[in-house]
Amino acid sequence: MVLEGGIAMSGGKLPPIALTTNCPSCGVGLVPEDLREQVYVCDCGHHFRMHADAWIAMLPDEGTWRERWGDVRPHDLLEWKVPKPYQETIEQAREEGLNEAVRIGTARLAGHDIWLAVFDFRFVGGTLSIVAGERLARGLEQATATQTPYVLVAATGGARMQEGVLALMQMAKVNGALSRLHRAGVPYLSVLTDPTYGGTPASLALQGDVNIAEPGASIGFTGPRIIRQATYAELPPGFQSADYQLRCGQVDMVVPRTELRGRLAHLLTLYGRSP
Amino acid sequence: MAAQRDTLSIWQVVELARHQDRPYALDYIRRLAPDFVELHGDRVSHDDPAVVAGLGTWRGRTVVFLGQQKGRNLAERVARNWGMMHPEGFRKAMRMARQAVKFGFPIISLVDTPGAYPGESAEERGISSAIGAAILEWFQIEVPVVAVVIGEGSSGGALGIAVADRVLMLENSLYTVASPEAAASIVWRDNARKVEAAEQLQITSRDLLAMGVVEEVVREPEGGAHTDVDAAARALDEALGRHLDPLLRLPTADLLQHRYERFRYIDSLVAADPRFGPKVEPKV
Repeated sequence: MVLEGGIAMSGGKLPPIALTTNCPSCGVGLVPEDLREQVYVCDCGHHFRMHADAWIAMLPDEGTWRERWGDVRPHDLLEWKVPKPYQETIEQAREEGLNEAVRIGTARLAGHDIWLAVFDFRFVGGTLSIVAGERLARGLEQATATQTPYVLVAATGGARMQEGVLALMQMAKVNGALSRLHRAGVPYLSVLTDPTYGGTPASLALQGDVNIAEPGASIGFTGPRIIRQATYAELPPGFQSADYQLRCGQVDMVVPRTELRGRLAHLLTLYGRSP
Repeated sequence: MAAQRDTLSIWQVVELARHQDRPYALDYIRRLAPDFVELHGDRVSHDDPAVVAGLGTWRGRTVVFLGQQKGRNLAERVARNWGMMHPEGFRKAMRMARQAVKFGFPIISLVDTPGAYPGESAEERGISSAIGAAILEWFQIEVPVVAVVIGEGSSGGALGIAVADRVLMLENSLYTVASPEAAASIVWRDNARKVEAAEQLQITSRDLLAMGVVEEVVREPEGGAHTDVDAAARALDEALGRHLDPLLRLPTADLLQHRYERFRYIDSLVAADPRFGPKVEPKV
């Protein structure tokens, strides 16, 4: 079955994203409008990081996204002060129009009803927080109740330090909900983008029925800087890259962004059939 | 002397939790179950010495024990990898958890780790998915599980064996999203800021009890558990009895439902704050 062309890209127009003037991989001068037309993938294959708005414009069928629980907001539970008060961090992000590290809602993808959860790396490094965990878990519960496939797009630095152990507990909260989704026979497709680290892959992001990595994405538990600090090890080239994780058996496939929508649609068809 | 224990600084608690003479998992397990039999291996590729697993008799019944194990001297620490688990450790733990389900034995899990191993060998063998799969599977383990943080409980490496029906902490232990050094490295990019990080993270047993993340703080002998290991083990034994006995009477479905809700609403003490928003989805 070939699923190219028409549904490879969304009808929705992607929002602009912050770009460098040249591609960091091939050095070519970038034309933002052209790059936007090719879902922010350079001709050389370099995938620019997309934020939540862009994913939400790209993956759902046009006009089908319904965001949920955007009113659940974080606040500074631990009275975190240095190096920067957490309350200030939250308010500043909000002023920039960001709404937490995970946004979630219902949508259709090539006609399939889905729950779609998207990390936003711009909000405190896409960190797993109480609000992020709450949105993920509510979505998993609703997807379980309605037998609706769950699609995750991860871009995350792990658990949010400023929420302390309660951020750590989100790993259990979301995986509890995920265990029920798996038991209920509901498909879960996880897309890992650059970067995906820490508590998020160590909770739900690598527990998909299918784990899909974007080309060039760095994926791991501990980041290279901290590994070097802890072990003084020389890390091999390509360490923790998407291809490395494919070789290590952690992801099922590495799919270019231009083909992702078609691949998800195909998988939703395959997993959506009655036995 | 109560005043003295109440005036310990957070860093003094960290030092007590990491004290070189602090009792480790096997020190407790051998006192709780003198007939303890250790089992080895994940049945895939490795045995992880950073976690011990096995069976023993506790209060007349067979119990499955898990425990992250540090080493007492340098050679032991190297062999135990300072209690930092690799993926095979989580697979060994889950193999034992499934065995506990097979025979209906309750599980006692002792947490004492600076975190999962932050190194290349753990990454290439899939540490993230090993922890994630363990956390997921704990919600389907149909026997009572009690976890106790006996020293350091840091990051996903701790949580991976602490998804339990009751989670207890010894008085001078800590439980944290990341070790103070790792948190400082993440927040300041400087692990020398560990004391400040520890102070902000709120990682003491008292903090966690207040947040509703643990059910009980088990008192240690004055000066810390290492001053009287037998007394510390007796206090642990009594606490385990208080928590395991009622769990053993619960029907399995209730047990799993309670475990689910325990973590699903674990932030409810803070989530109830009106600024946070609605805790439970209103019925549509």
